[in-house]
Amino acid sequence: MSINLIGLTAALFAFLGIWLGHVSVRAIERNARKLWPPIIIALALGLALEAISLSTVHRLLSTATGILGITILWDALEFVRQEKRIKKGHAPANPDNPRHARVLADYPSATTLDLLKRDPVGHPVAHDEAVKLGTDH
Amino acid sequence: MNFFGFLLGLATFLIIGLGFVWVIRGERYLGYLWWPYVIGLGALVVLGSLFIRSDWGSALLGAFGASLIWGSTELKEQAIRAELGWFPFNGRKIHPPLKAIIGKWKAPHL
Repeated sequence: MSINLIGLTAALFAFLGIWLGHVSVRAIERNARKLWPPIIIALALGLALEAISLSTVHRLLSTATGILGITILWDALEFVRQEKRIKKGHAPANPDNPRHARVLADYPSATTLDLLKRDPVGHPVAHDEAVKLGTDH
Repeated sequence: MNFFGFLLGLATFLIIGLGFVWVIRGERYLGYLWWPYVIGLGALVVLGSLFIRSDWGSALLGAFGASLIWGSTELKEQAIRAELGWFPFNGRKIHPPLKAIIGKWKAPHL
């Protein structure tokens, strides 16, 4: 029986794409003074990867670049969505970043606390308790 | 022009989008402690993709398996989002087998 490596390649690059979207978008948005440079870079990188995918005859390379390219194109939009999460207080603001410092000043809901960084307790949690749970450890 | 990777990229994008839906619903009705079963299922799906002769079938299965593995690591944070009221909270969940043991393990998060 022959082994088909297309699925494993798709799995690895789908996972890599989601991971990049999660971890690097958060880290870059947290530290970038302006959002448009990372957005332009993500768009250019995504388009370049799709160009490789469309022009190669190699199926594994087409798979890898095709999947990674689309996820990185989406990341361009995620930079904007991440900033909205910061404004809502759903993701922690970085007071050392002037752009985030302005968000903290302008949006009462914005916070420097990561309210998701804890274990679930199994019941609804009011804001005060959420702050306490999030800062206990 | 080889449209295989581009179309597969779009399909993978939809599979990832579906991940948001099942993570939210799955956590609401079943709870985050199902995570080891979801990881196991994802690994089996990726493994199964090796034996699919069709490139499209194998690729879609691989991408779906990867999204299951990723989604399993999102369940814990989703449980906290529901506790915070960002999503509806359901107190009557259908718990997984071996819940007591799984509860002692540290749920993965990336």
